[in-house]
Amino acid sequence: MITVSKLNKKFGDLHVLKDINCRVEPQEVVVVIGPSGSGKSTFLRCLNQLETATSGEVIIDGVSITNPKTNINKVRQEVGMVFQRFNLFPHKTALENVSMAPIKVRKMPKQEAEKLAMELLVRVGLEDKAAQYPDRLSGGQQQRVAIARALAMRPKIMLFDEATSALDPEMVGEVLEVIKSLAREGMTMVVVTHEMGFAREVGDRVLFMDEGMIVEEGPPKELFSSPQNQRTKAFLSKVL
Amino acid sequence: MDFRWHVIQDYWPVLMSGLRLTIELTVIAVSIGTVIGLIVSLFRLSKLKPVGWLAKGYVDFFRGTPLLVQILLIHTGLPPLLGIPPMPRMMSGIIALSLNSGAYIAEIFRAGILSIDRGQMEAARSLGMTYGQAMVNVILPQAFKRSVPPLGNEFIAMLKDSSLVSIISVQELMMSGKIIVGRSYRPFETWIVVALLYLVMTMTISQFVGYLERRLGKSDHSE
Repeated sequence: MITVSKLNKKFGDLHVLKDINCRVEPQEVVVVIGPSGSGKSTFLRCLNQLETATSGEVIIDGVSITNPKTNINKVRQEVGMVFQRFNLFPHKTALENVSMAPIKVRKMPKQEAEKLAMELLVRVGLEDKAAQYPDRLSGGQQQRVAIARALAMRPKIMLFDEATSALDPEMVGEVLEVIKSLAREGMTMVVVTHEMGFAREVGDRVLFMDEGMIVEEGPPKELFSSPQNQRTKAFLSKVL
Repeated sequence: MDFRWHVIQDYWPVLMSGLRLTIELTVIAVSIGTVIGLIVSLFRLSKLKPVGWLAKGYVDFFRGTPLLVQILLIHTGLPPLLGIPPMPRMMSGIIALSLNSGAYIAEIFRAGILSIDRGQMEAARSLGMTYGQAMVNVILPQAFKRSVPPLGNEFIAMLKDSSLVSIISVQELMMSGKIIVGRSYRPFETWIVVALLYLVMTMTISQFVGYLERRLGKSDHSE
């Protein structure tokens, strides 16, 4: 579903991603962990080209998105993204946030898009908030609307960029619950997170990143219980 | 001092026709200026360097030279430059005020657009929207709202600056004042009334902008 080969990203002199290679299979849930500044968010943002790769190739569902000739907008329609800071559109209601992309991008009739949006709000447990503006919603509710918004494009892949890091502790659970339900339904996902319990429970595979490289990867059980690399050990001893 | 206020009564129709023209000039100039400003602000934010330079050159020129000079330059210079017959004074006035206003409004919109959190554009683009769709549906509606107070200021500034087109004898309020003084020899009475008329207009606008701000504030859903 996703193939990344020799991906490099530099911000000026700063070499953020160094020769990343990885594959994500259909329906697989890959969790990316690692210390701050290890490049995990940049890696994720390269998967829909919100960050342009300096070199290397990213292939999404058979389409090379690092090729400048590729229509990136077409590919992004298939790749939903959820951000740390929600990034809901503050001038639109929850329902409008969710229905906007299907209407504007997919050219879906308004009525149909709103019906779809309502279904998705029901799914994230927020049907009663449909008419509310984002500033009337809690962080956890905003993030759930953001997930519904991404799902409205019926993506084949979902990317989560520290989706629970900006939330108050008591709201983390409700957002993780929604992400878990997506995993159960077989959505292909790449999840950058600090929630180790979640990584262990939901991840089919865990990638540990440090200093712009994938240092170690494996099934969560193995990686968490018997890490091989020194840096993985050091990191896990601090967060577990 | 001996005031002759009846002069104002005598020339009231002249003052009123001047007032009307001042309002017309300002409304037309700010309207055209808003359209110019929107286009120029988007040009300035363009990734294409030459387009950005062009926009910046325009803004620099019209903000960096006196409006009085711009009016004279456009009235005397534009027709020969374009090889067209001399323009009516009113037309020169409108063109000069619009171009000047456009430069200031471009900066207002640019600041408004830049004030919108980067995550808004990223969220829109991640949903598959093109840059244009994201601008129209997500960024500009929020930027416009934030631009209302400075736009109000620009409208007030333009109302006052429109008096400068009296230099090419467009008979707006300022020019009407000059005419009345020339005929009546009562400068003080005339100018105090002209000043008050400008004041009434600017106060009315700032009241209206304040009302608009409160209304937008009520429905302000930005974080």
